[in-house]
Amino acid sequence: MRLELRDITKRFPGVLANDRISISADRGQVLGLLGENGAGKSTLMNILSGLYKPDSGEILIDETPRTFTDPRQAIEAGIGMVHQHFQLVPVFDVVEAVALGAESVSGPLGSFDRKTARARVLELSQQYRLNVNPDAKIEDLPVGVRQRVEILKALYRKSDILVLDEPSAVLTPFETEELFGIIRGLAKDGTTIIFITHKLNEVLEVADKITVLRRGRVAGTVDPKEATRERLANLMVGRDVELTVAKGPAQPRDVVLELSDLHVRDDRGHMAVNGVALQIRAGEILALAGVQGNGQTELVEAIVGLRAVDSGDITIDGKSVTKSTPRQIADLGVAHVPEDRNRDGLIGAMTVAENFILDTYHREPYSNGIRLNRQAIDERAAVAVKDYDVRTPSIHTYAGSLSGGNQQKVVVAREFSRPVRLVIAAQPTRGLDVGSIEYIHKRMVEQRDQGAAVLIVSTELDEVLAVGDRVAVMQGGEIVGVVDGDDATYEKVGMLMGGVH
Amino acid sequence: MTAASPTFEEVRPELSAAERAAIRSARIRGVVMAALGLFALQFAIQTMDVAATFSFWVDKQGGNTFTIATQVGVLWLLAGVVTGVAGVIQLVRGPSFQWRRALLIVIPFWVAATFAGLLAGKPANVTIVFAGTLTYAAPISLGAFAGILAERSGINNIAIEGKFLMGACAASVVASVTMLALGPAANPTIGVLAGVLAAAVTGILVSLLLAWLGIRWRVDQIIAGIVINIGAVGITNFLFLRILTKQTELNTPPTVENIQVPVLSQIPILGPIAFQGSPYLYFAVIVMAAFAYMLFRTRWGLRLRASGEKPSAAGTVGIDVIKIRYRAMIVAGILAGIAGSSFSLASAGSFQMQMSAGRGFIALAAVIFGAWNPIYAFGAAMVFGFADASQALLSVLGVDVPPQLLNSIPYLVTIIVVAGVVGRVRGPAAAGQPYDQG
Ligand SMILES: Nc1ncnc2c1ncn2[C@@H]1O[C@H](COP(=O)(O)OP(=O)(O)O)[C@@H](O)[C@H]1O
Ligand SMILES: [Mg+2]
Repeated sequence: MRLELRDITKRFPGVLANDRISISADRGQVLGLLGENGAGKSTLMNILSGLYKPDSGEILIDETPRTFTDPRQAIEAGIGMVHQHFQLVPVFDVVEAVALGAESVSGPLGSFDRKTARARVLELSQQYRLNVNPDAKIEDLPVGVRQRVEILKALYRKSDILVLDEPSAVLTPFETEELFGIIRGLAKDGTTIIFITHKLNEVLEVADKITVLRRGRVAGTVDPKEATRERLANLMVGRDVELTVAKGPAQPRDVVLELSDLHVRDDRGHMAVNGVALQIRAGEILALAGVQGNGQTELVEAIVGLRAVDSGDITIDGKSVTKSTPRQIADLGVAHVPEDRNRDGLIGAMTVAENFILDTYHREPYSNGIRLNRQAIDERAAVAVKDYDVRTPSIHTYAGSLSGGNQQKVVVAREFSRPVRLVIAAQPTRGLDVGSIEYIHKRMVEQRDQGAAVLIVSTELDEVLAVGDRVAVMQGGEIVGVVDGDDATYEKVGMLMGGVH
Repeated sequence: MTAASPTFEEVRPELSAAERAAIRSARIRGVVMAALGLFALQFAIQTMDVAATFSFWVDKQGGNTFTIATQVGVLWLLAGVVTGVAGVIQLVRGPSFQWRRALLIVIPFWVAATFAGLLAGKPANVTIVFAGTLTYAAPISLGAFAGILAERSGINNIAIEGKFLMGACAASVVASVTMLALGPAANPTIGVLAGVLAAAVTGILVSLLLAWLGIRWRVDQIIAGIVINIGAVGITNFLFLRILTKQTELNTPPTVENIQVPVLSQIPILGPIAFQGSPYLYFAVIVMAAFAYMLFRTRWGLRLRASGEKPSAAGTVGIDVIKIRYRAMIVAGILAGIAGSSFSLASAGSFQMQMSAGRGFIALAAVIFGAWNPIYAFGAAMVFGFADASQALLSVLGVDVPPQLLNSIPYLVTIIVVAGVVGRVRGPAAAGQPYDQG
């Protein structure tokens, strides 16, 4: 079916998320919808799927105007949606999760006819080679399989239009290739596909047509055959973008961080880090690549003292910190930029100024042991806001109300305010706009050049390749390979991440 | 270990910290169990000459009895042996031993022996205790079902106590007024039904208030629940002191009579325990079965659970989460209200101030102990019902324990039980979180 959105506008309090956006896709076409974080992609798709009501604008399916006031109507009109954040009930099995909302029932009580549903799930799984076990519990499935369950959900509802919102964010490069195969297959069978992403390579690879969104507006529609990465990046951001990080060659010196035979468990007691040995030297950036959930989170938490080590050793400048507290470790000159900045990086309900001293509030001049010295705190904040280009209405603004990029700058400013010997940055640019990403990268390189050892954990291949002087790949709790920055290519690292080694 | 003697220890693969901890705690558990077994044997020696007399009614309450006469020491002996065996198995099998299941076998022996010890030779009627267990369990289990229903849909329902109280009060007043209106010749069942209906309606109203505060106004559901509970105490105390104590005819409802379950009530010994009881008990059992089926086998149950686990997953496929939650709260209100009516219509024969005495909170404990499953929750309610029934019996028989301590038995049992399971069972993930629909 042909889909067209015409002049869609949607305003949230304080944000014009969609400003007269028009897009269209023909039957069997793959439309790539490209845009930075916050460009309004998810909002647009939530309007299409009936979750949000547009302030104005039209949805046309096969040239017929339609209005959806709830998701059910959109589903009935043949629109299937794979949301950016998985919408699967973790404690359900695949059959239940897929059938939810479209259950086959029998009997007067509305008994769930599991047998029929299961048969259909199996049939679809085989037909589209999704390879999903219908009886597996969702929470036990790897993210790649959950993604396919989401697609199953759409197929189960006989969708003619399939929307995938940033589907590759959690996939290995190998799984992403598989997904592209599935998308191409579906398109060939006549499904109209909208593929949303912020990754340039992906739209170029899979889309038949690319529409770029920028700050809630259509910045342009291009043919992938004629598009280049540079041109797309320019449309996306509104200016020329450095696709590489400017940095000189690394000058590695003495070893700062050393991990030997490190074992760490996750919250469920499974071995998440399984015998990792790694060295990072002063003056180099080690980029740790890997798909989400392969032990990186636990590894970082162990290094900074937030998670108990099961066995093995961690040393910083030759001193064992395996049993040290986070504060002791920080005092050795470790800056930690945590993965989930809203949970571990800052306190949203405190002001920007207060967030700057979360690590030093107990020391002179910010406190005398009993009272906080507000004046010293504010002076410090004024300087940091300026140095790190934090765009905030005031230093007394709540940190939670800043944009992701500015929040991250607050975190980085605080962590780099101590003498830095070792930087541990986990997904430091996740969810940030390109300007902030460039800025954060620049600061990381700066730390390296001043003699710090830097560990950057990232799931984004582009980032890993751009910043890493060396690239290590983590998979299944182990380091499956370390590649020199110059030899690190998309294919090589991607293969390692996918477990092909 | 010396270097000269290469032992079996050294070739063993290195164990992780967690595995070592598990082995150590298994060892400690085994030693403790074995030691407790020895303690029990010690008691056994001391109490070998104290009589323990347990009797059952064979055909009906107050009818023929069947008596088991033994010594307290014998019960302690059994308890000691069972505990000791469990301890030894634990020591041999290590962390793989299913010690929680073993406890299910061990604990009843200890309870029986303690019971007999407290009675110190006085004969006790077991039928009363067991039948009482079921009677007390009925409102607790109904309250637990109300809690499960609400939490499975995503709403924390801690206002069960309030619904109990309001239901009890409404039932008593409406049943009394109905009988006054109909005159002395009327069938008391009509009065009872009117009271139960009033309790159900009251429960719905209280429930909807909580749902509305939590869903519409996003008030923290725990706080809203506490406010409702306190409000219910205030309102019913006020009504009682200002009106019901002066006009006692408004608080003299007809009482609910026990019923005889056809055929089953004729079974010797078991009949008088389980099948000649309060209608509330059979209502609770029917609700349990129906609810368990509906929850786990029907479309309604699937959607209800989705709303409580991940409401956005339900919302994005077009399920109206808000509607599901309101409906669940209405049914929860009916169940809790009806349970409340049992206090004034079945047990006491009139409404008394704060007569539910925390049973609504014990019902919440049963929700957790029952792992949000209606069938397990009924079992949990029986444990608490047993604590109630034992306390009642021990008070009546006048054992040598301060009454304040006796009265606290049900609450102590609740605390111990909940402390033992909390953290091991997982409730609905989204319970208590408001849900925004686009
Ligand atoms: N429910 C909401 N309430 C308020 N603002 C929102 C809401 N959803 C999205 N926004 C805002 O709208 C803008 C577009 O967001 P979104 O559509 O999620 O972007 P994208 O998917 O392209 O990253 C952002 O500024 C975001 O903060
Ligand atoms: Mg998005």
